[in-house]
Amino acid sequence: MTTRLARARQFGTVIGLLVLSAVLWALSPHFLTVANLLNIAQQTTINAVVAVGMTYVILSGGIDLSVGSIVALSGVALGAALQSGQALPVALVVALGVGVACGLVNGAIVSWGRLPPFIVTLGMMSIARGMALLFTEGRPVSGFDEGFRSLATGRVGFIPVPVIITGVVYVIAHVVLTKTTFGRYVYAIGGNEEATRLSGVSIGFHKTMIYAVSGLMSAVAAIMLTARLNSAQPIAGMMYELDAIAATVIGGTSLMGGEGSLGGTLVGALIMGVLRNGLNLLGVSSFLQQIVIGAVIIGAVLVDTWLKPRAGRG
Amino acid sequence: MRRAEWRTSVAIVVLAFAVAGLSCNRAAPAADDKPTVALVLKTLNHPFFVDMRRGAQEAADRLGVNLQVQAAEREVDVEKQMQIVENLIQTGIKALAITPSGSREIVTALVKAKAANIPILIVDTRLDAKAAADAGVQTEAYIGSDNYAGGRLAGDHAVKVTGGKARVAILEGIPGHETGDSRLRGFRDAVKDTPGIAIVSSQPANWERDQGFNVFQNMLQAHPDIDLVFAASDLMALGAIEAIAAAGKTGKIRVIGFDALDDAKKAIAAGTMEASVAQFPSEMGRLAVEGAVKVIRGEKLPADIMVKLEMVTKDSVKQ
Amino acid sequence: MRGIRKAFPGVIALDGVDLALRAGEVHVLLGENGAGKSTLMKVLSGAYQKDAGEILLNGRPVEINGPRDALALGIRIIYQELNLVPHLSVAENIFLGSAPTRWGGIIDWRRLYANAGQLLGDLGMEFSPQTPLRALSLAQRQMVEIAKSLARNASVLVMDEPTSALTSREVDQLFTLVQRLTSRGVAVVYITHRLDEVYRIGHRVTVLRDGRHVATTTLDQVSIPDLVRMMANRDVGEHFPKVRTAPGVELLRVERLRRRGVLDDVSFALRAGEVLGIGGLLGAGRTELARVIAGADRPDSGRVLVDGKPVSLTGPAAAIRHGIGLLPEERKAQGFVGGFTISRNIALPHGRRLGHGGFLPGGCEERLADPIVKELRIKGTASQPVKLLSGGNQQKVVLAKWLAGDAKIFIFDEPTRGVDVGAKVEIYNLMNRLTAAGAGIIMISSELPELLGMSDRILVMHHGRIAAEIDAAQASQERVLSAALGLAG
Repeated sequence: MTTRLARARQFGTVIGLLVLSAVLWALSPHFLTVANLLNIAQQTTINAVVAVGMTYVILSGGIDLSVGSIVALSGVALGAALQSGQALPVALVVALGVGVACGLVNGAIVSWGRLPPFIVTLGMMSIARGMALLFTEGRPVSGFDEGFRSLATGRVGFIPVPVIITGVVYVIAHVVLTKTTFGRYVYAIGGNEEATRLSGVSIGFHKTMIYAVSGLMSAVAAIMLTARLNSAQPIAGMMYELDAIAATVIGGTSLMGGEGSLGGTLVGALIMGVLRNGLNLLGVSSFLQQIVIGAVIIGAVLVDTWLKPRAGRG
Repeated sequence: MRRAEWRTSVAIVVLAFAVAGLSCNRAAPAADDKPTVALVLKTLNHPFFVDMRRGAQEAADRLGVNLQVQAAEREVDVEKQMQIVENLIQTGIKALAITPSGSREIVTALVKAKAANIPILIVDTRLDAKAAADAGVQTEAYIGSDNYAGGRLAGDHAVKVTGGKARVAILEGIPGHETGDSRLRGFRDAVKDTPGIAIVSSQPANWERDQGFNVFQNMLQAHPDIDLVFAASDLMALGAIEAIAAAGKTGKIRVIGFDALDDAKKAIAAGTMEASVAQFPSEMGRLAVEGAVKVIRGEKLPADIMVKLEMVTKDSVKQ
Repeated sequence: MRGIRKAFPGVIALDGVDLALRAGEVHVLLGENGAGKSTLMKVLSGAYQKDAGEILLNGRPVEINGPRDALALGIRIIYQELNLVPHLSVAENIFLGSAPTRWGGIIDWRRLYANAGQLLGDLGMEFSPQTPLRALSLAQRQMVEIAKSLARNASVLVMDEPTSALTSREVDQLFTLVQRLTSRGVAVVYITHRLDEVYRIGHRVTVLRDGRHVATTTLDQVSIPDLVRMMANRDVGEHFPKVRTAPGVELLRVERLRRRGVLDDVSFALRAGEVLGIGGLLGAGRTELARVIAGADRPDSGRVLVDGKPVSLTGPAAAIRHGIGLLPEERKAQGFVGGFTISRNIALPHGRRLGHGGFLPGGCEERLADPIVKELRIKGTASQPVKLLSGGNQQKVVLAKWLAGDAKIFIFDEPTRGVDVGAKVEIYNLMNRLTAAGAGIIMISSELPELLGMSDRILVMHHGRIAAEIDAAQASQERVLSAALGLAG
């Protein structure tokens, strides 16, 4: 939203990212190098793309816990298609189709079954994971040709391909969210579903599409992850839902729906990426990293709640 | 509004400094000019890897090198492990010892280490030979237990204690892991020539204690006459022991595990567990650091450095 | 209670109201919607703080600063929605939070059930204290609520429309119980809309109107028509700028609409240039009728015709396509998206028309909204979210949503509720302009002067049915109120 409040919140997150970077720069000589920054960019891509779908869903007042499992299922579908000798474009369409199908099922049950999204996507989280394991008998599908792997390892100029993919995804998703009727309805449904319904907007159709977008984003992430690992693991993507929710929330999107932006989510994902990278560089143990990331999530939301009443008056 | 922005940044600055404060202690030793060896583990929430770190740290202190130990939050998260490797490469480490979370997947990250001229030592879990060859990744050495030999050891023991006549159940680890697959292969090969041994059920319990409990409880439902269980790790074996106790069959079913964890040794001493194949993770840690230091000095290592395995039974645990 | 005064932003809800209660009496509190009955009782129970006046108990002034104070003084209110826990037993509900305990914390079950049993016996109730509450009928639950009040030694008991959902046999039981209460010296304040009940149970009556005290009298001195007159007869000080337009063709016809529990065989027609007022008490089915016509709820049977042709209202979108626009009762919950700007709210129903292949051209929402914002003089900046506007401006935004389209049938549900005087007049003027341009308006209102002042024709609803149709020229507050109360006439 272009309200002053939202802009201030986003600006605050950007400042947070810059300050965090400055601190890491002061602490580690290895942080501010071109190679390391490209590392961070690449390491952030998967979470950032999953978080695009999560942002759509959360903006509409929902939640999607199934993203990680959809990453796994789309990934193994992609892997199987590639190994069975399908052409790359066909395999990509299969992966994206699987992701969208899972999202459509989520959305349809949320809309017409009138169940809470938490329950529906919790169920899908288990179903998609189980299907991925069943389909592969628990074994990863691996070993792909160079053409496919270049989706992760390739570079255009000096920029890694996944970073470019992520950039394109963000531009398109941002345009859809801010310049189309669909995007407007995402915010409207999250802001006041009943008023939106009484304005003649089909809530069922649009909610279904919103979850489909989330499934699509999971599939895009699955493509990048499979190319990066050179392997499609049925156990891939565990806990991705929590990382994506964290990035979205740190980026200032309200869990109540209706407020937030993709720019914020990108910054949120970058904050998490920078933090993980920096803590690695400093040799901080993985246990401590979890504590720090948890603290940042709570801190960001705390700042949000401080901000709101004040901005309301100002 | 300006106030609000100010608050946001202050909150994050405070957090960042808190992080920095916590991390300074750890980062400090890297400031001198001793070479740094990185040891990347699958996880640190398993006693096996904690022992490995201890052995490695002792060796590093003795040899005068810095040791950086890092691990992902979860054992199966190979993508996180890749990120850790990528990030460590940036810090100018002189050698990388790693226990791969995914035998094939981690190869991509090792390609980057190779490109940065960092020698690589593989510990505990072997790389997938084909994937490594395809990517042109050469490693200095593999340091680990011979899991296949360990599996055979367990199989031979099973034949011996049952007199060659038993109905056997197997608890597998996560499918597709070289470690677990080799142990199972070794066990099966050891018992296959004994006609009295029948493997009635073999299912994965994903290395976990609670899944070991659940899966074995289900197996007992289907096959109440099981005589012996082989679990590819002690955690799963300990879960099975609890399931046996819950079914009131303690002492009637022999349990053979792998890893000889402290809890397993206690169970063996108490008689609720038959035996466990002991690995020596701290030895692996020691050999990994020693090997890394040799490589840094320009010495050559043998391709495979095998760490001894030992059958721990009631007799040996008492000593 | 003496000289109680309570003001809300823009409204004076209570203006110097007196109420005296005697021990052992049933004091009936009467007044139409918004007369101040609930507000007065909320002041008494500590839910609201009074702005002026004093409350005396047994002759001594007392301070009631919150619900706790009221409870401590023995003042209890039984609301229409009962405050009971369905899966606990009757006894546990009665002593919820004050159960007898021993050894510092362990509930003494034997004593709990004995005490509860005694209390139920005293009140002449026949069910066991161990009965789970969910097994009881609504009337029995109400009695449990009363027992709960007595367990805390209530000396003043307020009952807010206790019989609205009861059968006549249950009403008898309740009245017997109320008589037992008064014989124990409890003062009962009884709020109701059923005038027939008033004489059966009450001793004295106080009538409120527009937040003012009209009269207090013993019931044997007044008749039902007297009471109606007292409730209705207020000075119509407000001026309504009504401009009459000659009615044109029929725009909307509703035939035999039924919806289980809320609408019962409703038929009427709306013509171009006409304001059709709909009066009635809360819960009479007015809002439900509006929602059915606007496509928000589906009727069980009956049909709706627009321009003489039957239409299928499958949802709000279908209603909007047929030119029906709803100004909902709950503006904040149903009328607008609080976080959206004025233009985005106004453009919300028109996305399909504004979009080019799904894309919204830059500034198209503003171009649509700006002329209407100017016309309605909506005050607010371009980037301000609507939730930060005043009630009047919010209402204008909701109106503007429909003015931006081609709606010709408007349903205004309480259009001026929570709106300041200036904005009210603007809304009335707008209604005149709409009817002059050939639109038809259905206006639901609980404000009798507004209903009489702005309508051409008035339908009065009672229990989901249309109880009366009155031409505005012959309408009076008494007639509307009598019909709304279900009295013949």
